[in-house]
Amino acid sequence: MNTSRRNFLKMSALASGSALVPAFLKGLPGDIFNPYDGKVLVIVQLSGGNDGLNTIVPYRNDLYHKYRPSIGYKKEQILKLNDELGLNPAMAALKSIYDQGQLSILNGVGYPNPNRSHFRSMDIWQTGSSATENLSTGWIGRYLDNHCQGCVPHYALEVDDTVSLALKGREVSGFAMGNPKSLRKTTSGQFLKEVAQSKHHKDEHTSYLYKMLTNTQESAKYLYDKTKIYKSGIAYPNGRFGKDLKQVAELIIAQTNAKIYYVNLSGFDTHANQKGQQERLLKQYAEGMKAFMKDMKQNRRANDVLVMTFSEFGRRVKQNASRGTDHGTANSVFLMGGNLKQQGIYNDIPSLMDLDNGDLKYTLDFRNIYATILRKWMDTSPSSVLGQSFESLNII
Amino acid sequence: MEHSKKVQHLFWRAGFGLKPNEFKVKSRFKIPQLVDSLIRQAKSDSKISEKNIRLFSEADRREMSKMERKELRRKGKKLTLQVNAEWVSKMARSGNSAFLEKMTLFWHGHFASETKLPHFATQQLNIFRKYGLGNFRDLVLAVSRDASMIFYLNNKQNKKQSPNENYARELMELFTIGRGNYSEQDIKEAARAFTGWTANFRGQFEFREKWHDYGSKTFMGKTGNFNGEDIVDILLERKETARFIAAKVYRYFVNENINSNHINELADVFYNSNYNIEKLMRAVFESNWFYDSENVGSKIKSPVELIVGVMRTFSVKFNDPLAVVFLQKALGQVLFRPPNVAGWPGGKTWLDNATLMIRLNLVNYLFQATDMDLKVKEEFEAQMRNNRVAKIKAQVNPQMLVDLFKNKKQGEQIESMSEYLLQTQYPINTKLIEKYIIGKSPSDKIKLTALRLMSLPEYQLC
Repeated sequence: MNTSRRNFLKMSALASGSALVPAFLKGLPGDIFNPYDGKVLVIVQLSGGNDGLNTIVPYRNDLYHKYRPSIGYKKEQILKLNDELGLNPAMAALKSIYDQGQLSILNGVGYPNPNRSHFRSMDIWQTGSSATENLSTGWIGRYLDNHCQGCVPHYALEVDDTVSLALKGREVSGFAMGNPKSLRKTTSGQFLKEVAQSKHHKDEHTSYLYKMLTNTQESAKYLYDKTKIYKSGIAYPNGRFGKDLKQVAELIIAQTNAKIYYVNLSGFDTHANQKGQQERLLKQYAEGMKAFMKDMKQNRRANDVLVMTFSEFGRRVKQNASRGTDHGTANSVFLMGGNLKQQGIYNDIPSLMDLDNGDLKYTLDFRNIYATILRKWMDTSPSSVLGQSFESLNII
Repeated sequence: MEHSKKVQHLFWRAGFGLKPNEFKVKSRFKIPQLVDSLIRQAKSDSKISEKNIRLFSEADRREMSKMERKELRRKGKKLTLQVNAEWVSKMARSGNSAFLEKMTLFWHGHFASETKLPHFATQQLNIFRKYGLGNFRDLVLAVSRDASMIFYLNNKQNKKQSPNENYARELMELFTIGRGNYSEQDIKEAARAFTGWTANFRGQFEFREKWHDYGSKTFMGKTGNFNGEDIVDILLERKETARFIAAKVYRYFVNENINSNHINELADVFYNSNYNIEKLMRAVFESNWFYDSENVGSKIKSPVELIVGVMRTFSVKFNDPLAVVFLQKALGQVLFRPPNVAGWPGGKTWLDNATLMIRLNLVNYLFQATDMDLKVKEEFEAQMRNNRVAKIKAQVNPQMLVDLFKNKKQGEQIESMSEYLLQTQYPINTKLIEKYIIGKSPSDKIKLTALRLMSLPEYQLC
C-alpha cells in the first residue's frame, strides 16, 4: 500500500472513529465484514475437570449420598434450585443470577466414547471433534477461518498470554492479550514499527507475517486505548479470574469490536480433599459471574451477552479414598445472558443407577450446544464450523 | 539462483541451517556430493545414550510406596526434559549429522506420541534413528512395538475379549494409508490383529498370547489368521500408502502446497524401492524441482527449527540446559508433547500474535540474557521480564559470524549478511537496518546487523 493511500485510510479511520479500519480493509478491500454485530460471546473454561455432581447436586438422590459419604452435600447445605437439584453452597452468587432468569443449566453434557485424559478431552471440547477425530483447529478458529477473514485481528480475544487451540484457525486465529499494558509495550518498539511499514515481498508467507505484525501492533494499540474508556466500579472477586472477567466487561462496555472472549479458571483437578478446593474455585466463579452480569445490566448490555461455561469432563460418581474424585465423563454446562429462551434447568442430570463403568452416561452432545450458539447467536450455519450437522436446542 | 542459496536451501530443509564457518566451505561442493555426505553421516551416527536413565527404567514400581512412586514420576519428568534438551543440542552441534536429527524430528511428528518417561522417550528416538532412513516396514513395526506408542494409543488395553481400536485406527488414518482408504470394519479387524501387543514399564515389548485373537480376520478384502505384521504388509501393498508418505514428506521438506506431479514421482520411487526411505529422501534432494525458487524460503520455520537455527549461528550455550524447553513452550512446540496423535500441524498454525512477537524478539531476548556489552538495551522494543531472561541466560559466541563478515566493505556488509541469514530471494530494506547500526566497533556492528536481520519477519522463513 502506498503512503498516500495509507494516510487516506488513516484519516478516514479517524473520521469514522475507529483507528482500526485500515486493518480490516487490508483483509477484505472495500467491505467491512462484521458478523453478528452487537452480540458478544464469552466462553469460560473451567480447567482440570470440574466435579459436576458437587456443582449441581442431586440432593434427594440416595445413590448420590451412598457414593459420596464424606464429600456429598446434604439437603440442608445446598442452595435449592428445584425438588431434585441444588447448587453447591459456595455458589450463592450464581443463585441470584438463576433467580433473575439469566441462567440456563444444561446437564449430562458430553460425547460418545469419552476420553478421561485432561489434554485429550480438552482438545475434543476445544476443537469440537468427536473422540476418534484429531483436529488441529479449534471451533472458534474455524468460525474465524470461514466467516471472519476480514474481521479485526482481535475479533476473538483470549485474556491470556497465549492463544488456546479453541481459537486457532488454519488462516485466522484469535488474539491473546494477557495484559493490555505489557502487550502494548512489547509491540510498540520503534524498529519493528518501521519494519512493519517497510516494503516487503508479496509472496504468501512473507505477506502473512507482515500482515500479522501490523495487525498485532494496531490491535495492541486499539485495545490499550479501549481499556481506558470505561473503568468498572463493581467489585469483582480477588484473583486472576476476577481480574480477567473485569477486563472483558470493561472492553465490552467500551464497545470494543472484539466479539468473542475467552477466559480460563483452572485448578479443578480435585483428586484429594476436594471440598475446600472446589468450593473456593466455585465461589470465585460465581462471584465473578455475578459481578460481570451486574456490570452488563448496569450498562444495558445484558441482552447482548451470552456466556458459556464448560469443563473438559466431570468426575467419577463415587468418591475415592482421598476424599476426592477421579476423572469422569458427562458434566453440566451453563449458559448465561439476558436473552435466554429457556431459563433454569434445561434437562435432568443423567441417571445414577445406569452408569458406564462408574461414570455418568452423557445425554446431550456438547456439539448441540455449539451448534445452537453458532446458529442462533452467531447467525451462521453450524455445519460450516463443525463439519457435520447437529441439531440446535431451543434455548437462546 | 546462486549456487550458495541452493546449498543453504538443502541444509535448511535437510538440517537446521549452516553455521557461519560451514557457509563458505559447503558452497564449494556440488549438490549431489553434499546429499551423499549428508546421508552417509546420518546413517553412521550413534544412538542417544541410555546411561542416565538406566536406573530409572530398572526401578521396580511394585516394591514402592505411593510417595516413592510420586518421587520417581517427578524425577522421570525432569529426565524426559533432559532427553529433550540433549536432542536439541545434537541438532545444534556442527557436522553433517543434522540430517539424522531432522529425519528423527520428522518421524517424531509423524508417529506422534506423548511420554513423560525418559527411557520411553530415548527408546522412541533410537527407533527413529535406527530405522528413519531404512525400510518403512521395519519402521512401522518398530513403532507398533514401541512402549510409548503402545501406552499412548491404548494398545495395552487391546485384548481379545474387548479390543481397543485406537492404535489400529491411527495406524491407518495417520501413519500409513490415510483417510478414505479403509472402512470402519477394517479398523475393527486390524485392532483384533494387534490384540496382545503390549509393553511393560521398563519399555519392553511383550506379546501376550492369552490376549491375542487368533481367529480369522477379513481385512481390506483378504481373509486369514492375521497378526499385526500381516496388517502392515497388506497396508504397504497398497500404493496409496506410498503416496500418503510421499505427500507428507513433500509437505514437510519441500512445500506445504502440494504439486501432484512431484508427489507421484516420489510415490513411484518409494513404492518401487519396496519402501526404502533413503531412496525417497534422495529423490527429493536430488530432484531439480526441490531447488525451484517457489520452494526456497517458502516454509515457516517450526519453533525447533527456529531455536536450533539461532543456536547454530551464535554457537549458543544455555547456562541451564532446560532453557530450550522453556523456549519451546513459549513458541508452541514441546518435543515429546505433541498436541495430539496427528502431530504438529505446522505452517501458519505456528503463528498467532503472541508467538509472532516472541519469534521476532527471540535474538533480542537472547542478547539481553547474555553479558554481551552492547549497550543498546534502551533501543530494544521488548524487554523480557527479568525472571524470563534469567531462564535463558546463555553464552553467545558471535565470533564465527564476525570472522565471516569482517572483511566485507561497509556498503556490502548488510547485504552479504542477509544472504547468509535470510532465505528470502528478494532484497530487503538495507537502509532501515543501517539506521539502527550507528557508531559501534566493527565487530559490534556485525552483531547488531545480525540482531536486526534476525528480527525481520523474513527470518521466520526457510
